[in-house]
Amino acid sequence: MKQLERSFYSKTSMYSFFVIVLLFFSMWIGTSQFKHIDMALIGYMISSFIFAIGLTVRMCSWLIRPATHQVIKRSFKNLKTKERKKRNIKSIATTAFENIVLQKFIFKRGLYRGIQHFLIAWGCIGSFAITFGLTFGWMHFDLIDPDTYQIIVMGIPTIIMPAHGIFAEMVYNGLNITALMVLVGVIMAITRRIRSKDVKVTQRVEFDLFPLYLLLAVTGTGLLLTVLYTFLEGWMHPYMSLVHQVTVVVLLIYFPFGKLFHLPIRPLATAVPLNYQETVKVDTRACLKCNTPYSSDDQIEDVKGILGAQAFDLKLADGSYLSDYCPACRRRIRVMKQLNMEAPLGNPYDPVQTRNGIHISGFGKKRQDEFYNKATKSDSKQEERV
Amino acid sequence: MNKIMYLEFERCIGCRACLAACRECGGHDAKERNYVEYVDFMESRQTYPMLCMQCKDPACARVCPANAIQITEEGVVLSAMEEKCIGCRNCTFGCPFGIPKFDFEENKMYKCDMCYDRSKHDIAPMCASVCPSEAIRFIDFDEMQELRRKRTQMNLIEGKKPAEHDKWQYVPEFFGVYSD
Amino acid sequence: MSEFVVKPGVKNLVHDDEKLVTTHCSYCGMQCGMHIRVHKKTGKIMGVEPRYDWPVTMGKMCPKGVTAYQQVQHPDRIKRPLIKKNGKFVESSWKEALDLIETKFKELQSKYGKDSLSVFGGVSMTNEKCYLVGKYARVALGTRYIDYNGRFCMSSAAGGFIKTFGIDRGSTLPWPELEHSDCFFMAGSNTAECHPTSIQWFWKAKDKGAKMIVVDPRETPTARVADVHLDLKPGTDSALANGMMHLIIREGYVDEDYVRERCNNYEELKEAVKLFTPEYTSEITGVAVEKIVKAAHIYGRSPRSVVMFARGVEQQSKGVDNVALYSSMALLRGQVGKFASGVATFTGQGNGQGGREHGQKADLLPGYRKLTDPEAVKYISSVWGINPEDMPKPGVSAYEMFDEIQNGNIRAMHVICSNPAVSAPNTEHIWSGFRKLDFLVVSDFFLSETAEFADVVLPATSWAEDEGTTTNLEGRVIRIRKVIEPVGESKPDWLIMKEIAERMGKGKHFNYDNPGEIFEELRIASKGGKADYSGITYDRIVKEDGVFWPCPSEDHPGTPTMFKERFDTPDGKANLAVVNWKPAGEYPTEDFPHILTTGRVVYHYLSGNQTRRIDFLMEQCPVPYAEMHPELASQYNLSSGDYVRLTTRRSAMDLEVRITKAIRNDTVFVPYHWGKELAVNQLTNPCLDPVSRMPEFKVCAVKMQKTAAPEASLK
Repeated sequence: MKQLERSFYSKTSMYSFFVIVLLFFSMWIGTSQFKHIDMALIGYMISSFIFAIGLTVRMCSWLIRPATHQVIKRSFKNLKTKERKKRNIKSIATTAFENIVLQKFIFKRGLYRGIQHFLIAWGCIGSFAITFGLTFGWMHFDLIDPDTYQIIVMGIPTIIMPAHGIFAEMVYNGLNITALMVLVGVIMAITRRIRSKDVKVTQRVEFDLFPLYLLLAVTGTGLLLTVLYTFLEGWMHPYMSLVHQVTVVVLLIYFPFGKLFHLPIRPLATAVPLNYQETVKVDTRACLKCNTPYSSDDQIEDVKGILGAQAFDLKLADGSYLSDYCPACRRRIRVMKQLNMEAPLGNPYDPVQTRNGIHISGFGKKRQDEFYNKATKSDSKQEERV
Repeated sequence: MNKIMYLEFERCIGCRACLAACRECGGHDAKERNYVEYVDFMESRQTYPMLCMQCKDPACARVCPANAIQITEEGVVLSAMEEKCIGCRNCTFGCPFGIPKFDFEENKMYKCDMCYDRSKHDIAPMCASVCPSEAIRFIDFDEMQELRRKRTQMNLIEGKKPAEHDKWQYVPEFFGVYSD
Repeated sequence: MSEFVVKPGVKNLVHDDEKLVTTHCSYCGMQCGMHIRVHKKTGKIMGVEPRYDWPVTMGKMCPKGVTAYQQVQHPDRIKRPLIKKNGKFVESSWKEALDLIETKFKELQSKYGKDSLSVFGGVSMTNEKCYLVGKYARVALGTRYIDYNGRFCMSSAAGGFIKTFGIDRGSTLPWPELEHSDCFFMAGSNTAECHPTSIQWFWKAKDKGAKMIVVDPRETPTARVADVHLDLKPGTDSALANGMMHLIIREGYVDEDYVRERCNNYEELKEAVKLFTPEYTSEITGVAVEKIVKAAHIYGRSPRSVVMFARGVEQQSKGVDNVALYSSMALLRGQVGKFASGVATFTGQGNGQGGREHGQKADLLPGYRKLTDPEAVKYISSVWGINPEDMPKPGVSAYEMFDEIQNGNIRAMHVICSNPAVSAPNTEHIWSGFRKLDFLVVSDFFLSETAEFADVVLPATSWAEDEGTTTNLEGRVIRIRKVIEPVGESKPDWLIMKEIAERMGKGKHFNYDNPGEIFEELRIASKGGKADYSGITYDRIVKEDGVFWPCPSEDHPGTPTMFKERFDTPDGKANLAVVNWKPAGEYPTEDFPHILTTGRVVYHYLSGNQTRRIDFLMEQCPVPYAEMHPELASQYNLSSGDYVRLTTRRSAMDLEVRITKAIRNDTVFVPYHWGKELAVNQLTNPCLDPVSRMPEFKVCAVKMQKTAAPEASLK
């Protein structure tokens, strides 16, 4: 493996190379040795390759981050541990279903946001699946007889369907359906971003709005194409088709580098139940100071590891680390230091004294007693006149 | 933005106006991001306000596996981006000051952003605006330096100079939240 | 006139779809400046924006202030009149409700005479409304029985000030001057929690080196940073003040020239305080001798000092004496009427200052005129357009009205802007009074504990739905603006009173279309009185950041600093207080061995009818608790979170225990903002001050007993 790696410029370029090889191989199989390539889709195909490379590069640079690396490393280790098999399966299943398929957590942020995100997410995923399936030739239709089509996936004949059946219509119109989903979702999202003051506070045009407008352009032109050849007998169709192609190319190239990149990293959410929190809100590790449970051993170990890998020294004099304490104790430690209250002062019977005569935080100026000794009656009189 | 947040714990009277005000700020979704706590209620009524330091190199961002914690051009460390945050809570454990909060329901971390919509226009954040005791202030960097100098001078005037046996009393007297 | 008032160069965040309306907070006497955010299209209140350029508070707000706007569109608002039928409230029309009130009022008055009706006012509303409550009772209803909740709040301060200075203005100096003072002597004031936004001035002064002496049985956040904390036993203020004056005289800190020229009774005072040696004072008050001596030296040597006090010294059976004694301390040092020095009380209610000046008190007419003064009666009668003979005689004080109910003299009551079912002492007596009434009308915007006893509840507006003025704790008259139209069918109190007056056949005396017209009448009515508002106009208030009364003419600048030349007593001299030691109405005995004191928490306001409905405030402090020293707690084997039964001679209640060393070890503290079984006023002592008729909320004897947690948890 090492040997192989050294023959590439970097790990990333190695992975990119293999992704491309894999894609070509899948195309080779899918199109029966390149027999079924749809030359009309060649533009899409090239941009899809760029997309694949971009995605690989971004994934690699993401995985190299110490924090991500640590979490992934622990995830793989746990996945390989036999004793955790039950927990692993449960974690993956619930995360995949609740977090990714149903996107429950977004619905909890608001029904509107939930619907909007659900439409965009599944619309996009569906569109990508169909687009890639067709451009890489993973899937094509064969005419068996004048009334029957067969779907060929990776060169393997699968479902047979009547050419004008409901299912067939749905398959032909798959892209239209997903596009409609995206369109509705995107319009909802744009409306929210225009209307809500709260969202505007931290929103950035290039990051938050551009992808929405891009998706709007892609779905808008795509659906317009359908309208053109269904109702207007293909009027302006070639030009529109070119415009649509351009928007898709831009989207594919932009995808790995913008906001939409959150899609491929979402599966990492599995790591939370897998590694850290078997049951939500149940903590197992106790704070070193106040003993309230606040995290799990593995997570604190990981946090220390990640910080250590980045030369963050959050070690205290007694050898403990700040992450050994619960957040509330960490805040208190900070303040006690500032207020000089690590050790109790004064009479233990009385309330604690927070002033030690040294000018520290607050109330900068203390007057010498002489000030008051000087203020005899004549002085105060004088001051009055002034 | 060339102002900083400046905390003086001793001034705090524990009224928690800053918490109420935090909920009022745009984008805060009616959840406060700062803290007011008793040092030890049994011993004294001393409370302290606590908010994000807006670190230049924030540990919370460093420990985030999803790279969700971003810093604005002004230097404000924002809440985790909602689309990236995977809800692992690493940030709450990584932060040396115990600042980030976590919402289990919505599965996201949220934290002080210095009322970004106010502070980016050089208007004081809500907590600093309302704090009746001026335990939280939004002041010029130079003013903060001046305050510190004054303290040192006052100590010197009264003949108080850190020595080996009591230097621990001269802990840093300010708690600035930089965002210059 | 623009609704959004801001000085040049002050930056506020204004959203495109919103406008700001400049006004003040609805709660305490600080009357913090604020802008309220209103949506331009929907007219809904969106939130609050700090008013950085209001000179008294500089944009600062406490948590109550920040969330104050949430009252206005609160779902609990009463939107239509309610009539109790078969023990249940039923929504009705205004006509039906007013018809019923008219019939009942007329019926009772014809049966039992004019004085069978009574009015119980409040001072959490504008001057215009407070003024009208007095006129409404005396002109529209023609009854002598009118009093107001300020009796539980400010009347001892008023009595003490009048006795000492001849006039009752809460503060002799404007608040921003506090920054330049050298010493604060604060007695019985938990400033940090009750008037949080004033803390900035004390802290600023402290930054410059000012000293603080705090007198309080608890180590409050203010006492915590005090140079001397005099942790006295509740109810021993008069001894402490005498002890302080003993030392001031003994150590030669008296400003002899000032006292000779401007004060009476100096020789008598000297004689009276002779007894109060530090040792004797310490014995009574429980404060260490060194602390008293140190405090006297600091106070005595400070060139500029302010003596301040609040309910802690006033809500006692010796409230007036306490105020007079502490004021005398300032007089001995020659501090009254000078820059950054003087005497001040912290007004508790929003318009506690203005509301007590214009005739809501049983014995007062507008402009702080005495009802017993024939000249005053003649003048006010002419302003009101009535016959001086028709002016009712003085009535009785707030708590005593409930005795009159028990005696059968008062048959009906109209409660306006008040919640005596929670705020009065010995609440069980109050509750039985309400039950005994033939007819009870309550105007309020939330269904208060008092309103639950009512036969008719009239929906009033909140402070943000009406114009007007209030007078803050400095004596500065300020402007409250209308932010939105009244919610539902609610009506401002002045309109309700006007409509009832019309029903009672007195409509011609209540011919107002807006609060401005009432204010114009108030200006005339107060002209020549002690609290003279005649030079104050709405425009001047805006232009000049409020105007301090007395302001006898439009070209008069107002009076920020009082008593510069003379005092308002007949001879122009202040009266030093000569008071001997007298114990509180109740003191610990074998049966009731400890002292119970009550007070506020920062999250709630008065009876809590408003603040107990705000989510944030309830999250911070949902129920009352008993705060005590660990030493006291351990005597009863109590730890934090346990429940304790507090029993006084009146009643008993169970409370959760909170333990802290920041309180005297013989005193239990309970906050008073809750009603019904959570009301600590079930336990408090209705022992009244002989002059001000203020009940002794702050001191009573109590016994304790550990008890199990209540089974139905209070959720």
